[in-house]
Amino acid sequence: MGMARLVLWRVLAVVPIMLVVSFVTFVLLSTNPVDPAEQLLGPTASEEQLEAKRHELGLDEPVLVRYADWLGGAVTGDLGQSIYTTTPVATSIGDRAGVTLSLTVGGLIVALVIGFPAGVSSAMRAGRPADRLTMVAATAGQAVPAFWLGTLLLLVFAVRWSIFNAVFYVPPSDSVTGWLKSIVLPCIALGASGAAWIARQTRSELVTVLQQDYIRTALAKGASRHQVLFGHALRNAGGPLLTVVALLVSAVLSASFVIEAVFALPGLGSLALESINRNDPAPVLGFVVCVVFVVVIVNVLLDLIQGWLNPKVRAL
Amino acid sequence: MTAPFASPGWTRRVLHDRPARVAAAFLVVLGLVALFAPVLATHDPQSGQLDDALQEPSAEHWLGTDHLGRDEFSRLVYGARISLLAGVEVLGIALLIGIPVGLMAGYRRGWFDRIGMRVVEVVVSLPALVVAIAVVAATGPGLGPSMLAIGFVAATIMARLTRAVVLAAREEDYVDGARVSGARDRRIIVRHLLPNVASALVVQATLLFAAAVLAEAALSFLGLGAVPPQPSWGVMLNEARAQFEEAPLLAVWPGLCIFLTVLAFNQLGDRTADVFGRGGVAALDARPIDPAVPAADPAPVSGSPPALDLRRVSVTYGASEVVSDVSVSVAGGEIVGLVGESGAGKSTTALAALGLVPAPGRTRAGSIRVAGVELVGMAPGELRHVRGRRIGYVAQEPAAALNPAYTVGHQFAEPLRWHLGRSRRQARAEAGEWLERVGIAPERVGGYPHEFSGGELQRIALAMALACGPAVLVADEPTTALDAVVQAQVLDLVLDLRDESGTAILLISHDLGVVAGVADRVAVMRAGRIVEIQETVALFDRPQDPYTQQLLAVAGA
Repeated sequence: MGMARLVLWRVLAVVPIMLVVSFVTFVLLSTNPVDPAEQLLGPTASEEQLEAKRHELGLDEPVLVRYADWLGGAVTGDLGQSIYTTTPVATSIGDRAGVTLSLTVGGLIVALVIGFPAGVSSAMRAGRPADRLTMVAATAGQAVPAFWLGTLLLLVFAVRWSIFNAVFYVPPSDSVTGWLKSIVLPCIALGASGAAWIARQTRSELVTVLQQDYIRTALAKGASRHQVLFGHALRNAGGPLLTVVALLVSAVLSASFVIEAVFALPGLGSLALESINRNDPAPVLGFVVCVVFVVVIVNVLLDLIQGWLNPKVRAL
Repeated sequence: MTAPFASPGWTRRVLHDRPARVAAAFLVVLGLVALFAPVLATHDPQSGQLDDALQEPSAEHWLGTDHLGRDEFSRLVYGARISLLAGVEVLGIALLIGIPVGLMAGYRRGWFDRIGMRVVEVVVSLPALVVAIAVVAATGPGLGPSMLAIGFVAATIMARLTRAVVLAAREEDYVDGARVSGARDRRIIVRHLLPNVASALVVQATLLFAAAVLAEAALSFLGLGAVPPQPSWGVMLNEARAQFEEAPLLAVWPGLCIFLTVLAFNQLGDRTADVFGRGGVAALDARPIDPAVPAADPAPVSGSPPALDLRRVSVTYGASEVVSDVSVSVAGGEIVGLVGESGAGKSTTALAALGLVPAPGRTRAGSIRVAGVELVGMAPGELRHVRGRRIGYVAQEPAAALNPAYTVGHQFAEPLRWHLGRSRRQARAEAGEWLERVGIAPERVGGYPHEFSGGELQRIALAMALACGPAVLVADEPTTALDAVVQAQVLDLVLDLRDESGTAILLISHDLGVVAGVADRVAVMRAGRIVEIQETVALFDRPQDPYTQQLLAVAGA
């Protein structure tokens, strides 16, 4: 399969995935026994009033019709609106995406900047004390729940020492330093276990590659450690590591929803939680669809890079 | 990968590992704590006196009390119950759905596999937390529905793994055997496939349990899983946040419980995987060649020194010595065959000559001289100026010996650039000339290894090893992986190149025919030692050592 066909194929495959995910979520949410009309009008409302409200909200239509309506809007960027606040879902998501993006990118940076070099240096010293020590730390680090680490960081740095903001978010448009102060702790909490995981995966992929015959060939040709590592090993470990990174993106993104709760940051996770607590289906649907879309697109992109790295795929 | 899993007693081997034992012991204790929570708990976990709120640890309340005056220790004890039950629920769903689906998909293939795996691929890529949020949004918060959602995602992970393991296992002989002898599918699956894939699944199940514990805590922390007043560790951590100033320790205990539990499950899973995984360490852990004790006898001076001179070379792995006191020399233009059964230490001897014995192996030698240069005691960083420059190496498997990610030209150019200081362009042009010399169109210099046949690759590997004009070529079974016609071509090429360049060649082979055809002298190795070394004709005519005689008799020579 050539590169162009690969791109086309992968991008097209996103459509059915999004259709299925949105449809299943839509149907799932419609099974919620709580009646929005009753929630809006209160327990004193008459049956006629409830009927009228349901009609107004379009709830008397069959699920398939409602889904088709929603889908028609969604392709134009209209993800419906909140039953209670009537805010368009797209607007709420747009307002909160900045926090989620800051946290996710920050968490990824922490994970990769610490995890990758640690894994590489561990692989180069495989079996030595330095390697063992790194791996023990990584094993432990991987088991630390992000929301606990966040809580402890908050306790020490914000509550005790007041070095960082405790619990409010400053958008970068207001103050860049304020923004940094508000997301540094959450990003460390988010990235720590990711870093541990990346370190372990990087080491294990590299050790596998370094046992290959072609590495011995390179050494027999007189390659230095650096030439072997950067010239031969990383390129081949790159493919599997990209798969790991795709999983990391998904993991950090979802962990960010929990971290938001720790630091009381107004991101997509809090939108979902608030909406769940209010029995407000539209923002939840919008949340699920957007998050899944991002995850799927990241997977597709990394898949394509992986294909491009592989000469067998690229050449044809 | 599947074979070691099939061997009996693997649980014992896992428990032989100390970290695994510690982790398993912790989990057993945790299980007992959860089981006997009503006995162990000193107080009611769900109710307390507001008067007792936020007490310091004391004899009455070992870990103090929370904001509602409830005993922290008792709540942690009951928290183990919730945590482990969540894990059991997730794992139960994963096993009950995932394994049958994976087994069927992997064994039957066909439409079930195609459709099933398409669904699995999609679900696996979804963040479990988002799936849980969607489910809880429909059902309302609770441990049941949220763990159902996590279990669903876990089931797809399990299905995918089971399928992969089954696909590998069904190629094995025992499955064919069972099929030929007329066993029915279900019997083959239950009796033959399942036991063989079981331990791989145990590893995954252990790691899934850890993930489930973590997911329960996170969801309960968010208020989507267990809800107050349930003593879930996640709920407790969330509630502790309001008492940061007064009772910071309340935020420590539940997190510590989650951490230790997840760590124990992860550790057990990893260690179990390690028991079956191949050990081995990376090739980059270079060590110098140590001098032999006692020191070598001085080299006899007789005319020009040999191109390659190994004296009293030994290689040890821990307590076992795989090469013992091997001495052999190869003069310029000479071909010396090194023969013996597999496991005799031939390849290790070859690698020792380059200082490339993989860790944790240790090489000791009286002397290893390449073109007069002593390698013993040389720093690993210096050795590389000898490798590729003065001594070339060709391995058995040509397809594996070249890096699949780079063009042949790039790999060919490397030693020319490193040792001879050629520019990229110059080196590439030379690579093209070399290809032509070994009968490959020079335009193909930009091709990737997968675009060449095995015979072509081996000719390229040979040329690459000789590119910098080394005095010595070490060829480890260079023709074994090739079919007969190609084998003859490659051997002819070896002879031609030797005649042109006068390179000394140490030719390792288990094939006496190959060695008889090209070698000037032959050394016979057995169990790490050279038992006999003679001119080729003499060795084949009048073998002295009984082992050589036996070897020749078996070969029918």
